Amino acid sequence: SAAAGPERPQVVSHVQQTLSYTVFDCKWVPRSARLLCLGSAARGTGLIQLYELHGARLELLREIEKPKPIKCGTFGATSLQQRYLATGDFDGNLNIWNLEAPEIPVYSVKGHKEIINSIDGVGGLGIGEGAPEIVTGSRDGTVKVWDPRQNDTPVANMEPVQGESKRDCWTVAFGNAYNQEERVVCAGYDNGDIKLFDLKTMSLRWETNIKNGVCSVEFDRKDINMNKLVATSLEGKFHVFDMRTQHPTKGFASVSEKAQKSTIWQVRHLPQNRDIFMTSGGSGSLHLWKYEYPAQRSKKDSEGSEMGVAGSVSLLQNVTLSTQPISSLDWSPDKKGLCVCGAFDQTVRVLIVTKLNKI
Amino acid sequence: MPVWLREHSWRQTLTAVYLSLPLRGARATPANIFCSEQYLKVSIPPFLFEAILYAPVDDTNSTAKIGNGNIFFTLYKKEPAMWDSLTLANAGKKKLQHLRENAVLKAQEKAKEETEAKKITKQEHKRYALEATMKLEEAERKRIEDLKEKERQKVAKELEFWKNQRKDADKYKSIPKKRESHQEIEPLKERKNEKTNKTRIPNEGTSKIRLKSTKGRHGSCSIFSQNLKEEQLPPPRAVATIKVNFTPRVFPTALRESRVAEEEEWLHKQAEARRRINSDLSELEDLKEEEKNPDWLKDKGNKMFATGNYLGAVNAYNLAVRLNDKLPLLYLNRAACHLKLRNLHKAIEDSSKALELLTPPVPDNENARVKAHVRRGTAFCQLELYTEGLQDYEAALKIDPKNKNIEKDAEKIRHLIQGTMQSS
Repeated sequence: SAAAGPERPQVVSHVQQTLSYTVFDCKWVPRSARLLCLGSAARGTGLIQLYELHGARLELLREIEKPKPIKCGTFGATSLQQRYLATGDFDGNLNIWNLEAPEIPVYSVKGHKEIINSIDGVGGLGIGEGAPEIVTGSRDGTVKVWDPRQNDTPVANMEPVQGESKRDCWTVAFGNAYNQEERVVCAGYDNGDIKLFDLKTMSLRWETNIKNGVCSVEFDRKDINMNKLVATSLEGKFHVFDMRTQHPTKGFASVSEKAQKSTIWQVRHLPQNRDIFMTSGGSGSLHLWKYEYPAQRSKKDSEGSEMGVAGSVSLLQNVTLSTQPISSLDWSPDKKGLCVCGAFDQTVRVLIVTKLNKI
Repeated sequence: MPVWLREHSWRQTLTAVYLSLPLRGARATPANIFCSEQYLKVSIPPFLFEAILYAPVDDTNSTAKIGNGNIFFTLYKKEPAMWDSLTLANAGKKKLQHLRENAVLKAQEKAKEETEAKKITKQEHKRYALEATMKLEEAERKRIEDLKEKERQKVAKELEFWKNQRKDADKYKSIPKKRESHQEIEPLKERKNEKTNKTRIPNEGTSKIRLKSTKGRHGSCSIFSQNLKEEQLPPPRAVATIKVNFTPRVFPTALRESRVAEEEEWLHKQAEARRRINSDLSELEDLKEEEKNPDWLKDKGNKMFATGNYLGAVNAYNLAVRLNDKLPLLYLNRAACHLKLRNLHKAIEDSSKALELLTPPVPDNENARVKAHVRRGTAFCQLELYTEGLQDYEAALKIDPKNKNIEKDAEKIRHLIQGTMQSS
């Protein structure tokens, strides 16, 4: 309950901005108090709006219109000086934009045959090591990894076997990028499949099926030895996998939680504390969770192989902000507790979560 | 006839009358005493005492004390004056009665007033209580709101402060380069430390330093650090493809699309059907072991059908049905045989029975259902019941819209129907 209990974190709604279009993704511009909203205008074109937080309101600095509606975006693969935005649109195009000169993209490729549902970037923003790369997951069932220095062809392509009927890929995330060689991509599909691809060995490292379509996956940190992975799905369930110990047959240990009856659209870990994450739901609610590690993170099974032990998840706070699903969520990497969320009621909200220091 | 109590004694002062009434052993309760302004009565059956008072008294304040076999009245006079006697001397019978009635009426009125007054006070109290609780709740709510508001303001202030800090950070950019080159080494070192320690992202304190050195295109230090980093970047990966398989399912639909309940039912039914063996096996004892297996018999029947031995196939299916009458495919195949043998009614019967057993309709038994509809449709048409036949063909098309043969046949039947309608 959203009681004003003295020690619980509170979710304070700071600013609310009504938009005249459907917003699919919202992102903070790193090292600033500015945020981007990406979406689809009523006439079927794409919109990028740049807002700046001024006291209790958002000021629109810039509006950029593009021919196709935009589904998702990331700053993950760009340097802090350039801060180029990579976007995936409804037509399967991957573009990288310089927001100071947005008429012509810095990089552009028609990466997929159908809408790009999800995008992630790694290697930029001074986080992690190795080449900057972007991964896109599409309804055409493929997951592709791109290097902005190489035009037209992806550096990795995860596609269905010949003759296999495809499943929509709904979400992608980078992880394990703790040195120049290591990197993994995790992809979630609409039939409940979760697949972990190792880019160093170019192979499938692990897969599992959680029965319900996977809406969002995220590692708690991209740039460390993979620690935890949260996967959210339809029908209100999410799973937290302990990624430190992989058992040869059982894979990774997990704990699952059913938060609410509706779809959990997004999960985002707090950049300043990797054990706290927020999930956003189809009923317009946000839940703030904390993961607690078990006493021993791994144990030996009957044959002597190591297997992981999952911990537990506790609910810190929840709040309902809207009647429509909250489809996008982003924490500010610069101010602890500041986050932005976009909902299908055409509203973007800036929220502040308090007392995170006391957790 | 009541017994009058007459041995009363009284004395008076200017303002009050004191009356003492011995009770001759009777027990008195407040209910026995009735007093109004000028009329006093004590009635303890069979005893009775009655007095029309000399002058009116204040009956609300007057008291009666019961005890010691005696009632002691203290009556306060309405008008301070000395009375000649306790009672009114020449009180005629009529006056008495009149007074009595008045007294009673007055008493009644008073009682009514009292109850009214009580009701009103009760309501007042209730309302007061309600208001009081509302106020308390309001206060509580306000307190919570205030707490929230304070939080909000604190947080907004912190946000502004953070923003302004960043603006100041920009201002510091223009400070002479000497200072910057100093700081340039520090953030690089810091970044290295972060990676080796794999600690959490630094708190705001250290991030400020990072802000100063890495933001913006001004200041040579930032370009410097970027160049360093670029040299360290590995080349783009060698292009490779990873092939994936998706999780197979008994039914090729994801959980959200599946009609799991129906599919489970269908599977269950099939399993049941396979297990069943009709118990009436007395006549079948002389059959070989394999001939008692419905599946084996079905295969035998299929083979005979393929070679054109329709009668033999029917026999095989008949035996199989006797062993297990819940397998839809037996009826389906027997229907095909009957069609070939031109036993049209039997064909219709068997197709219908097959369709009955093929419920609930799920993707798994689609093929079987299509065949059943087609066979029944054919039988109807051969019996010249074209409308029924068309119904079955259309049902088959609904399940399998892409089948060209069924479409063609359906068209033919439609034409036939139109032809017969035109000619009739």
